[in-house]
Amino acid sequence: MSNQGISRRGFMRLTAGAGLGLLGASVLSGCKPGGTAGKAQGSFNWMTWGDHYVPGQLEKIAADFKIQANPTLFSDNSEALLKLQQVGGKQIDMCSADALWVPVYHEQKLIEPLDLDDFPVSKELYSLAREFKFWTTSEGYLAYPFGWSPIQVAYNPKYVTPAPDSWQVLWDPKFKQRIAMELQPFDVMAFMGCATGAKEPYNMTDEELAKAKQALKDLMPNILKFVEQNVEVVQLLANETIWLGTQNLGVEDRVRDAGGPEIKAFIPKEGTVGFIDGEMIAIDAANRDVARAFLNEAEKAEWIAENFIQFGRPLFNERAYKLLEEKGHKERADRYLYNQPEIALKMNLKGPAPRLEEYINAFNEATAG
Amino acid sequence: MAVVERIAGEEEPTGRIAVKSTQRPSPLLWGLLPIGLLLMGFFLIPLSVMVLYSFWRVEGFDIVRDWTLDNYAKFFTLPAYRVVLLRTFLISLAVTIIALVVAYPFAYFLVRHTSPRWQRLFLVLVILPFWTSYLLRVYAWMSILGDRGLINQALLFLHVIKEPIRVFLYNQYAVVIVFLYLYLPFAILTIYASLEKFDFTQMNAAADLGATPWQAFRQVLLPQTKAGVITAFIFIFIPMLGEYITPKLVGGSGGLMIANQVVNLFRGFQFPQGAAITFVVVLGIIVFLIAAQKYLRIEELYRR
Repeated sequence: MSNQGISRRGFMRLTAGAGLGLLGASVLSGCKPGGTAGKAQGSFNWMTWGDHYVPGQLEKIAADFKIQANPTLFSDNSEALLKLQQVGGKQIDMCSADALWVPVYHEQKLIEPLDLDDFPVSKELYSLAREFKFWTTSEGYLAYPFGWSPIQVAYNPKYVTPAPDSWQVLWDPKFKQRIAMELQPFDVMAFMGCATGAKEPYNMTDEELAKAKQALKDLMPNILKFVEQNVEVVQLLANETIWLGTQNLGVEDRVRDAGGPEIKAFIPKEGTVGFIDGEMIAIDAANRDVARAFLNEAEKAEWIAENFIQFGRPLFNERAYKLLEEKGHKERADRYLYNQPEIALKMNLKGPAPRLEEYINAFNEATAG
Repeated sequence: MAVVERIAGEEEPTGRIAVKSTQRPSPLLWGLLPIGLLLMGFFLIPLSVMVLYSFWRVEGFDIVRDWTLDNYAKFFTLPAYRVVLLRTFLISLAVTIIALVVAYPFAYFLVRHTSPRWQRLFLVLVILPFWTSYLLRVYAWMSILGDRGLINQALLFLHVIKEPIRVFLYNQYAVVIVFLYLYLPFAILTIYASLEKFDFTQMNAAADLGATPWQAFRQVLLPQTKAGVITAFIFIFIPMLGEYITPKLVGGSGGLMIANQVVNLFRGFQFPQGAAITFVVVLGIIVFLIAAQKYLRIEELYRR
């Protein structure tokens, strides 16, 4: 269009009209806070784990939809809860959390419940994932379901023989400084609880907790380090710095993909804990619409299938399973229980220990050296 | 007061002078204002909040403002915290002493045996590591000390070992090595500043009077560079007591320090207990500084 064809008055009318139109649209969209996760653009802050997105995903979404995610990684659920408590939605728009930690965020009034129907992508979820009782409230669903896994023990069969099936293998003196775990004090205490026969690993009695503490103390010579992200356990297994570690489903392929040796994994016969995780929108999130729009794009089957290939543990997007089948990954998906999400509900789910102080002091005492 | 006295020496009436001094605050006070505000905002107020927290208690995920001494009692009754605090103290002390022992001869060499041009070059080399981030420097050490790191590879190449040995990383020694690397420049620069002002003809005079080199060092040089040594000690020892990242990255499960345990407590929502332990450490530092003040005249370090 040539400027010569428009008079000054005409130009003023045109711009005023466009301005009013934009204003009207923004007012209308502002009047509908709980509306469909739509086409908002901009940036938002996301506190999450490193395996909730695949390399290149954030850049692609930023390029295609003008949605810039700024992720901050955390290690432990308690750490994320603490940070959101301190800064709230003004600084963090979206946050990831595990199973029974999610209701704690809600009790603390830190997140806004969702209507999954607002997210067109949610039609791709397994129906079971839309109905977790512990995430269902009268105000809505507390988190957008993402993935799940039992925590297993991964080992390098070159050094760990015969094939173990119990937590007890961790205490074998042959494996001095050959074990790594994530720095998640409540979960580590829960593992110790499982290993020593506690009935409820996240709600141990005094006697059970004392046993778990002693078990961790005895285990310390074999622990090389507590790491921040589970990808570090994969790296340490891949370069054979460690021979054993706690990990999610899919560790065998992740280590191989990282150029490492053959790795095997087992669910200890004494039982274990597991996670179901999801994304939560912070209450009064400064960029809530952007975060919701991002969620609608990032949770699409194409990305979730890629995430499965990258990180191995099953996710709740059913259409992604079909994509995996189509692309020839059915065997791998079935091996890691992708098509059996109902197993997720049979696990001892990760959650906060009611006796926070006792758990954390037991962990500190056992690891003091 | 000194300003008033000085002006009072002039011939003007005292009353008028007193008014003059109250009307125009000393430039020194203006100079202290920015640092005073910073100190207030970023040290004294947070410290006060921390002290308050240390006397409260936690219920579930909430702080309850009931006054209690339980958090301090836990520090003294749970041996783990005392053990880790002692380890922190010993690691910090060991690194500080080694750094001083390494830095002093190096700074002496610079001042006595190199030209000003070479001194500048060496000093640039000393501060060169500061051009990269702290974290990168620690990660660099992980790749040097690790199972597949430079040292193990060199030993394997020389057939000194048959397979990588794990004595360099993920233990207290690794923490000491990396700390030494990180803090050595502080010691060198401080001691250098002190030595540079020393009049070395005094050493010749001491020798002329029959002193051995060791006696001259101990009785002439060291006392006059004491300010630099004590300042270097403070610059290294105190920050190290609060170190978190290095022990976490290279310390493994056996090289953790008190800050790592405090962070665990914070992660577990035990703010009051974490605050109490932190305050015990701060209190120790304050006592140490008061004791050090007796021997330290920091202005000597910078006096020409």
